[in-house]
Amino acid sequence: MEKLERREIIMMAGGAVAGAAVGTLFSGAPFLGLQWLVEWTQDQYVPAPGEEKYLQGRCLLCPSACALSVRMIGSRAVKVETANTGCYKPQLAIQMLYHPERIKNPLKRVGKKGSGKFAPVSWEEAIKDIAAKIDGLRAGGKAARIAAINGSAAYASGEILKRLVRASGSPNVYSEPCVNTLSAAATRLTQGQSGSIYYDFENTDYILSFGARLVEGWGDPGRMNRALVGWKERKARYVQIDTACTRSASMADKWVPVNAGTETVLALGIANRLISMGRLSGGANFAQWSQIVINDYTPERVAQITGVGVDAIKEIAREFATARNPIAVAGKGASAVSSSTVEFAAVQALNSMVGSLGRRGGVMLVDYPGLGEVAVNAAGAKGLDDFIKNGAADLLFINEANPVHRSVYGRALAEKLKKDTMVVALMPLLNDSAAYADYVLPTISPIEGEPVEPRFRAMHPADALLAIAKAVKGLENAFPWTGNKDIIPLIGRQNVKAAGNFTFPVELFRTYLAEISKKIGDKNYPLSLVPIEAPMVGDGDGLALPYVLKGLDAVTLTGSKLWVMINPETAKQEGVSEGSRIDIESARGEIGSVKVHITKTVAPGAVAIPIGFGHEFYTRYAEDKGVNAKEIMSDDIDPISGAADWWFTRVKIS
Amino acid sequence: MSGHAAPKKKVSDMKRLWGMSIDLDKCTGCGACQVACSQENNMPIFDDDSDLPKRVVFLDLMKVTNENDKDAKFGEVKVAYLPKMCMQCAGNDPENPHPPCVSVCPVVATDVGDDGVVSQIWSRCIGCRYCQASCPYEARVFHWWKPRYEGSFQEGLNPDVSVSSRGAVVKCTFCSHIWKRERDRMIAKGITDINAVQYTPACVSSCPTGAMKFGDLKDPQSPVYEEKLRRDPRAVRLVHSIDALRDTNPAEYERRMKIKDFPNPKVWYLTSNEWLREKLSGFKKS
Repeated sequence: MEKLERREIIMMAGGAVAGAAVGTLFSGAPFLGLQWLVEWTQDQYVPAPGEEKYLQGRCLLCPSACALSVRMIGSRAVKVETANTGCYKPQLAIQMLYHPERIKNPLKRVGKKGSGKFAPVSWEEAIKDIAAKIDGLRAGGKAARIAAINGSAAYASGEILKRLVRASGSPNVYSEPCVNTLSAAATRLTQGQSGSIYYDFENTDYILSFGARLVEGWGDPGRMNRALVGWKERKARYVQIDTACTRSASMADKWVPVNAGTETVLALGIANRLISMGRLSGGANFAQWSQIVINDYTPERVAQITGVGVDAIKEIAREFATARNPIAVAGKGASAVSSSTVEFAAVQALNSMVGSLGRRGGVMLVDYPGLGEVAVNAAGAKGLDDFIKNGAADLLFINEANPVHRSVYGRALAEKLKKDTMVVALMPLLNDSAAYADYVLPTISPIEGEPVEPRFRAMHPADALLAIAKAVKGLENAFPWTGNKDIIPLIGRQNVKAAGNFTFPVELFRTYLAEISKKIGDKNYPLSLVPIEAPMVGDGDGLALPYVLKGLDAVTLTGSKLWVMINPETAKQEGVSEGSRIDIESARGEIGSVKVHITKTVAPGAVAIPIGFGHEFYTRYAEDKGVNAKEIMSDDIDPISGAADWWFTRVKIS
Repeated sequence: MSGHAAPKKKVSDMKRLWGMSIDLDKCTGCGACQVACSQENNMPIFDDDSDLPKRVVFLDLMKVTNENDKDAKFGEVKVAYLPKMCMQCAGNDPENPHPPCVSVCPVVATDVGDDGVVSQIWSRCIGCRYCQASCPYEARVFHWWKPRYEGSFQEGLNPDVSVSSRGAVVKCTFCSHIWKRERDRMIAKGITDINAVQYTPACVSSCPTGAMKFGDLKDPQSPVYEEKLRRDPRAVRLVHSIDALRDTNPAEYERRMKIKDFPNPKVWYLTSNEWLREKLSGFKKS
């Protein structure tokens, strides 16, 4: 071996040091280190200080208009104090107010429809153009081609829009289905009156809910939470019939697990028991109806279909019949409600049989006179889904609504909107439906206008629609109001009517058992898909807000993957394990992939899927989070309400 | 050298000992407390907050079920929702409190005040995460990423709560900044008695059903009077099975209190469900 000189060793060591220095320099480590040093040593963002004050106002989210107080720092709103009105929604208002994707100006479409490319325009230009379109359609005898879709929470603006479209000569005003609109359709049939079903939750002592998730955003959430506290205080008994142990079922005194989609059958099974206990109704056609119930809905048969035992059915019937003020509640769902007229009729029949109809502590009817009716000489579709499927429009208003995402006919609607229809959308954030709009008009969030100054050039939707209405030729006298402040007090009025009459719609029940048995017996699709709602997400609106995403647990949404819940028995049958990725297929199509959470809180044979996810276009926070279950949900349109009964869908998984 | 006097106890005018009770029979799991907390305490906003390892929250809304019990059957399985935040532990001796996290913090970033609130000062934290490891309730979170508040979300930030930097541990402080705010207001009115001031944390004031109550554990008039809670058959503290021995086996209770330091939290849960009490306390009667 050659001997190394001292000199050579020094040179080699020097080379190694130089090489290491050059290597480190080019690795990027020094720069990253410097960046970290800067980040760790420099001060973080400090929120701007300012004078603290509290502004008093009213929440614009629902007709209850609860008082709230907003903590201001200078001109910034930092917190909403609600003084325990019972509602959780105002807590979201600050995030909506300062959402970075709020629409700043009225927008006009520049790209292809559905591309979501818009350019700002002035309010004047937008209003002039929209009013001109209405003028043109009216002058051309095509007034009936004007249509409007109101969100279920658009109350003041919804009334203005309804009046605008009807006064223009079109019957085509629709509302996204909610418990009020669905029950109103049923009531016209069974009680021959206008009005929605009004449950006297404040005075009842026994609540039998057929899948209506009463404390998860159902109806007026503030009222329902206050009612719940009242039930606990006065020991009213709350029984929840549900396919999964939902939040409402967990709050109930008793959870009655039922096979998916069989709530109506269970109601008729209970009716059968009530008849044999001698609890009869004085309603019209009761004799014929009771024959069907006695023959077809014996407790044994009902137990077999619903999965609720004979003894349990008898027990519920006994409790229901012996309570002082029992009410049976229909309208499955929470923020999103799906039901059928036959279901409302079956559940109202129970109320009729125990004498709860038209009574304090029981079930009455409620009317919202609003701004009054405008007569139109043409007939429109029966309901929103019926309109989307069969109707057509040249001008469509979408007001605080998102039918493209929420309706099971969303895809069909999107296709229609891509054609010649001029679409005007009113909303604070661009959503899946606004992507197809020609004009998007920015509206305010719930605490803006009053008490917080509106941001950008956003308007109260009622004011924006009033401005359009006043620009239409010949409608000047139909709108004597100056702004939303005149309208909101008119909208808040409600007339509760004690209507005790009831006509049993016998025809609806003759074929019902055969239809539902056929659906349940579908061998191609062995499982049932049922919807659930995640806290604060509701029917999808909440998903744009980051603090809502923060509240979702590890088996609802993780890293943009949605989870579904199935029973261990079903998992074994289907050969899936915790965390498996599956696709779900119905006769309408396929969605996927979703992850599986195996839990005994869901009935065997059911797949419980959170709704409100899978937005294609709704801020960076909501987009591409999970899948939209409505795409494959059942699309049978109820012939009376004209709304799709999407609750229960037969599916298979792979 | 003998005769050393015991370290003199700090004399304090403070008479309050803040505590909380959460009635789970009334909790619908709506999530308002979580949102109110996030808004009040400047929780960071990341692009995707469904990304769990990245998520920072002080208040966790937990779903609890008894379905993993051996005899749990479908239909009888129960579900409950549990808002869980920092339990503000005191240790065995509330007169001389030493919460598990405070004992291990090398830089006094976390300390316990004479009002019983366990503080946390983000800017003092060196990110060693000892406290996070020692916390029995996983109530502390570490900022692995720099907190972000995209665009105009910054407008909604509360100036009373400082924004944390990356590499610090953060946690619920019972909204003690609101207490500070209330004290300042009283002082402005000329009232300097600290015991005259009451306050309510953000989660409690947002609760739609009034399930959450807050007050002074030592005050018989308060909704969370500790002596009353101790006797309440519905009351339970999280993973604190020692409570069950207090009345049933005082000798064993004393023995265990001598050999181990228990967290002794100041948050009480109330429920009439036996299964939930067992699950929360970590103690099964059978």
